[in-house]
Formats: sequence, structure tokens, C-alpha cells
Amino acid sequence: MEKGHQRVKISPALLLKTHKVIGNKPVSTKRKFSTRLAAGLLIAIVIDTALQLVWKSAVLSLPHDGSLWLNVQAILQNPRFIFVLFLMGCQFFNWLMVLGDADLSYAQPVTSLSYVSVFLLSALYLNEAADVFQIAGIIFVLAGVWFISQTEHLTRAQESKV
Amino acid sequence: MSQTSIGVVLVVICTLLEGVGQVFLKKSVLGAVRWYLWISFGVVILAVESLIYTNALLFLGVGAAYAISSLSLISITLMSQFLLREKVTRMRWVGVGLIFIGVGLVVART
Repeated sequence: MEKGHQRVKISPALLLKTHKVIGNKPVSTKRKFSTRLAAGLLIAIVIDTALQLVWKSAVLSLPHDGSLWLNVQAILQNPRFIFVLFLMGCQFFNWLMVLGDADLSYAQPVTSLSYVSVFLLSALYLNEAADVFQIAGIIFVLAGVWFISQTEHLTRAQESKV
Repeated sequence: MSQTSIGVVLVVICTLLEGVGQVFLKKSVLGAVRWYLWISFGVVILAVESLIYTNALLFLGVGAAYAISSLSLISITLMSQFLLREKVTRMRWVGVGLIFIGVGLVVART
């Protein structure tokens, strides 16, 4: 290995800050994962979970004749869709705050954790049977989010101007 | 064109619209001069996407639609990398790939 060049060991600490190695001294670049971002991502996942569950039940109540106009009418009349719109509004403003603190390519995959929560809620409360494929899928999602969490959550301005 | 293929095409269009809409929203918080235009167009695109998606569910099973719509993870990451110039490292791609496979496995049985 080249002298003066040190490999940075990947550790959970990287979730909170990153290290840049200059010469022999690791220098913390203090790209802090803020509480606001953590809360924003958590809220996004919770709302997304609620949206998926309500959306699923609302869509199943649509008339199955394939007409767009009838669907729009059904949407406007169904209280579940109004609730979906309300949740979407909350999701929207929260999402803009999250995007202000993190890369889109960081935040979006992390919200896939809602698939895990929907799966767990369905298994626990709706008594939906879980098969081996689904459990494997959940493990894949969790592993994927772990990998994402190891990357820096925000691209620096000078890096993005390539 | 069969009912299923119409559904598949509609959901694939949705995944692309999702990517474009999200890029517009991200643009609006990046300090763009006309941020309100980015937000407005982003919202319009995402609203159109919801309508198309709702309609696609009439042609396609919910499980299949969910599975195909997980492609939006890939489209969003690609657009972030090339349109927003975000630093998408190999590790982030590995994460996205694992999540994509995972979501596919979870929802395909819905």
C-alpha cells in the first residue's frame, strides 16, 4: 500500500460522520447526520406505511370498469381517498425538508424501510402469512438500507459541479 | 396489446415520472432561482403519475404493479447521478440493488 494513504475502515460510526485521510492524520469532515434528518426520514417512513395500507384498501374499492372519469369521481367521493390526500400533503412538506438535508439518491432508498413496516404490520395485525421469499426480501431491504447508510448523505456543492 | 401489457407499460411510465418528479422537487430545495416553478412542475408530474398508477391497477394485479414500480428506485438513483450530479458511490448502488431485489421479493407475492 502506498505510504501516507490509509484505508478507512467501514464502521457504524460512519453513519454519523465521515473521515478524510490527509497525510497520516484522519481529519473528521463533520458531515453530521442531523436529528432533523433522522426525524424527517422516520416521519416519511411512518406516513408512507400509512399511505400504502390506506391506498391498498381504497384502490380495491374502485369500480373495475377501467374508466378514468368514473375513477376520479369515486376518488372524490371516497373518504379514504380524502385521507390519502391529507397524508400525501403531510408527506410532501416533510419530504421537501428531508431533501433539503440529504441527497435524493440517499433519502429515497432509505424510505423503502416502509416495505418492512408494512410487511410487519400485515403479518402482526392482518395475520397475513409470511413466506420464505418475503422474509428473505425483508433481509435484503434491511441490508440495502445499511449499505446506503454507510455512504455520505449529502453531496458537497463542489463535488456536484462536475 | 393485452390488458396486462397495457398495465405494465403504464406502471413503467409511472416509474419514469416518479424519477422526474422527484428530481424537480430536489431542484426546488437546491436554491434554484425559480424554485416555485420546480415545485409546481414536480407536483403536477407526481399527480399525473398517481392518476396513471391508479388506472394501471385496473389492468394489473396489485402485487405485479408494486413489483414493477420498485424500478423507480433505479430510475431515481440514475437521475440523481446524472441530472442532479449527486455522488452515487458503488456502495450506494449496492444498497439500491439489494433493496430493489428485496422489495421485489416482498411485493411479488402481495
